Amino acid sequence: MPLAFKKETFRDNYDYSNSQDAIKRFPFPFAEDQYMYSVNIEPHVKGKPGSVCEFAFDVDEHYVGECLDKQITLDLDRGRYAVLPHMMDAQWDFVELTMEALANDYPEHFSLKKDGLNWTWENKPLNIKHSFVFGDASTMPMDPFEYMSRQVQGDFVLLDQRDDTLYADGGFVTSQADWSLAFDVGMSWREWHAPVPRATELGVMDRALKYLMNIQLGSPVRRLNWTMTVNPRLDTSPENYPLWGTDRNTVNPENIEDKIHLRVELQSLFRLPRSNGIVFSIRCYLISLKELATYPRWAKRLHRVQKTMHPDLVEYKGMTKFHPMMVEWLSQFDDGETLSVGTQPE
Amino acid sequence: MERGYWIRSKPVYTSLLWHEKATSHLIVAQGQGGMAVLKLLQLMHPKQPITVLYTPQSDADYSKTLLKVVPEGLHILDTEEKILQKLDSTLHTLYMGMRLYIAGSEDFMWTVAKVANKFGIEDAGMMKELTGTLARPIYCVHCKAITHDVTTNIGKCSGCGRMLFVRDHFSRHLGAYMGLMVDAESPGDLPEIEEIYP
Amino acid sequence: MSMIDVKVAAVEQVTPLVKHFTFVRQDGLAFPAFSGGSHVVVSMNVGGRVFRNPYSLMGSPADTSAYHISVRKQEHSRGGSLFMHESIEVGSSLQITYPVNLFALAKKAHKHILIAGGIGITPFMSQLFDLHRLNANFELHYAYRSPEHGAFADQLKASYGSQLRCYTDSQGGRIDLLALLSKQPLGTHVYVCGPNPMVVAVIETAKNLGWPDNTIHSEQFLSPGVGEPFKIHLKKSEIEVHVPADMSMLEAIELAGVEADYLCRGGVCGRCEVDVLESDGALLHHDHFLTDAEKASGKKIMPCVSRARCQKLVLDL
Repeated sequence: MPLAFKKETFRDNYDYSNSQDAIKRFPFPFAEDQYMYSVNIEPHVKGKPGSVCEFAFDVDEHYVGECLDKQITLDLDRGRYAVLPHMMDAQWDFVELTMEALANDYPEHFSLKKDGLNWTWENKPLNIKHSFVFGDASTMPMDPFEYMSRQVQGDFVLLDQRDDTLYADGGFVTSQADWSLAFDVGMSWREWHAPVPRATELGVMDRALKYLMNIQLGSPVRRLNWTMTVNPRLDTSPENYPLWGTDRNTVNPENIEDKIHLRVELQSLFRLPRSNGIVFSIRCYLISLKELATYPRWAKRLHRVQKTMHPDLVEYKGMTKFHPMMVEWLSQFDDGETLSVGTQPE
Repeated sequence: MERGYWIRSKPVYTSLLWHEKATSHLIVAQGQGGMAVLKLLQLMHPKQPITVLYTPQSDADYSKTLLKVVPEGLHILDTEEKILQKLDSTLHTLYMGMRLYIAGSEDFMWTVAKVANKFGIEDAGMMKELTGTLARPIYCVHCKAITHDVTTNIGKCSGCGRMLFVRDHFSRHLGAYMGLMVDAESPGDLPEIEEIYP
Repeated sequence: MSMIDVKVAAVEQVTPLVKHFTFVRQDGLAFPAFSGGSHVVVSMNVGGRVFRNPYSLMGSPADTSAYHISVRKQEHSRGGSLFMHESIEVGSSLQITYPVNLFALAKKAHKHILIAGGIGITPFMSQLFDLHRLNANFELHYAYRSPEHGAFADQLKASYGSQLRCYTDSQGGRIDLLALLSKQPLGTHVYVCGPNPMVVAVIETAKNLGWPDNTIHSEQFLSPGVGEPFKIHLKKSEIEVHVPADMSMLEAIELAGVEADYLCRGGVCGRCEVDVLESDGALLHHDHFLTDAEKASGKKIMPCVSRARCQKLVLDL
């Protein structure tokens, strides 16, 4: 599928929308009528052509707009990027992983030429071309991890594996759903996941940790996570909560279909070779209720999921203020038809 | 918050107890933490060498008693800056097998921990006893300033002046709890401010 | 599980008991880079029976053109190491897993003390490349039986000179662990790989001196060992599996055509952990993974190295 990159904004006037193709490939996360918090991890293997899982890192029509938004967020707050000194090997692992994946999967947009350790990287959509020595940070315009994080959609966290746990020892985080890298950097798995209600109790996090520590080189894994956001805003950070917090008050029955977005995170984890670390990639997809309702099956499913949501989760996901209004709006599509298990749009 | 729900990032402090296996012991205490040191020494005088670094506070000074109880290796320093300098120079002379004990306010303990971290000592390798006050250091997630000695559920940021809700989420590298603007969704609408960390 | 097809490019007799093998990829591509201390599991088809043994990667982690392992011929080999020594030659084909690291260097350590006994030198060979590249502060203490058994000692002396100390047992050389570990600067980590008594001695000495647990690292792959035959019932697959005396439970399960998870096959990583649904006798736990409480509970077992002495054993597989 040839990609036409759109000009768009994820703040101020929110000039953002999904094309018909983008709606159809949206990673809708609800396979059943009732939502249960679970780890739902599966191998990150090649998905169907055109799907968001076709390649290790998905590049879509929002690529240029999202990379620009990353730059704006980082210019306003350098604290969105942080990495501890012992993570240099992991930084280069990340460069190798992302450059090779993009160049292989999207040869019309990216290219990587290697002559031993002398590498040349070209990114056509962002108009970047740079030659450097792999492993020599002085030949890069900035940290190698920051350099490539700016050129791949999504947030990235570098995890160090030691003392039988994983530490979030580096990150590039500009589209987070309410967590702060500057605060969380250096935290162990349990500390980092501290504020997730019901998860600790269910032992979900401990089981997930055991699983993740066994992720193997060449066998990445993925899962979907979701929340609802007011406006197509990538930077819903705690840092800028004063800027977007009041947005929750602006939702009314007239604008709800354009304002409220389902925000799905495609989370994938890759073992890194030289550092034995793991990169945690969190890719955010946004779709308005109106766009989503172009497929009645999705609207019905979302209605049932939201209607039966546990109040703790409604609170945790920050939906309290607009949740009843959203359930009401979605109910117009739900004729009670029995839906088969699965996330497909039709 | 639901009952029985425990935030795992919140540090667990205990009463100081001797590590039986050690090559030496280093104890760092502030103000009321002097009592924790005395309690520790009541248990036993270990056979390995001990060093005690103590900084008294105006409302809690155990210097005199410590001078009587600690036979050698006691250093009384009158400011936090001096005790941190002494800590740094002492750590340079010690070997693996040294066990570290800290007693004082939360702010003090994590300031000490940061110095120890530079020597490759991890948080798990330090024993900590919270004494004197429950006051919290608060990191403002918006302006990145740390406000010390916050005793209320909501505190004013010393950096940007925003009113911060003190979240039960603790960062060891910052040595502080997360503070989040409390009235971001409804400006000016503040819940009642109560002292809950006296 | 993803496997890599390899071809043996070189075989070298390093000591009377140790052979060194060089692998290249069958598809001509580059291997992935890896981290010092990693191992691969080598699959060997010995007369229709598949052995899978873990071996440490020894070469430079940056060299992606070839992987290197060394194999010591075990006195009581069930077949794996004997096969590698007697049947594998230049041009032989094998399958290996992607590298896995269960013995990683502590990146935040200020100093590293490496202690190797005999063939236990192998995981350190790749770690030394990393330490050298990172300009880290380290010492290697290497003990072996007699001069002819000091695999790679000359090569190590040439590369690391004063950072290496060798101890030759036949010449009265012994590591004085107490002296070595008493006067190490704060932030030091110790690593040991070698025969069981040496591993135990290093861990005990460091713990008794008050070294925190997370500064003490060891690697000791267990071989499945030989025991009495027994029978298991696999609940989900609804089959009975006979475990012969010289076969591990995991091998017997695989032979029966049931796919089971594994990584290290040496009782270390925990990947093959399986729930015990029912048993009427003793579980013989040999792994280093389960806690004592888990072992005592009788609810979990590591089929790669552990066995059972019972009439009935039902596993959740």
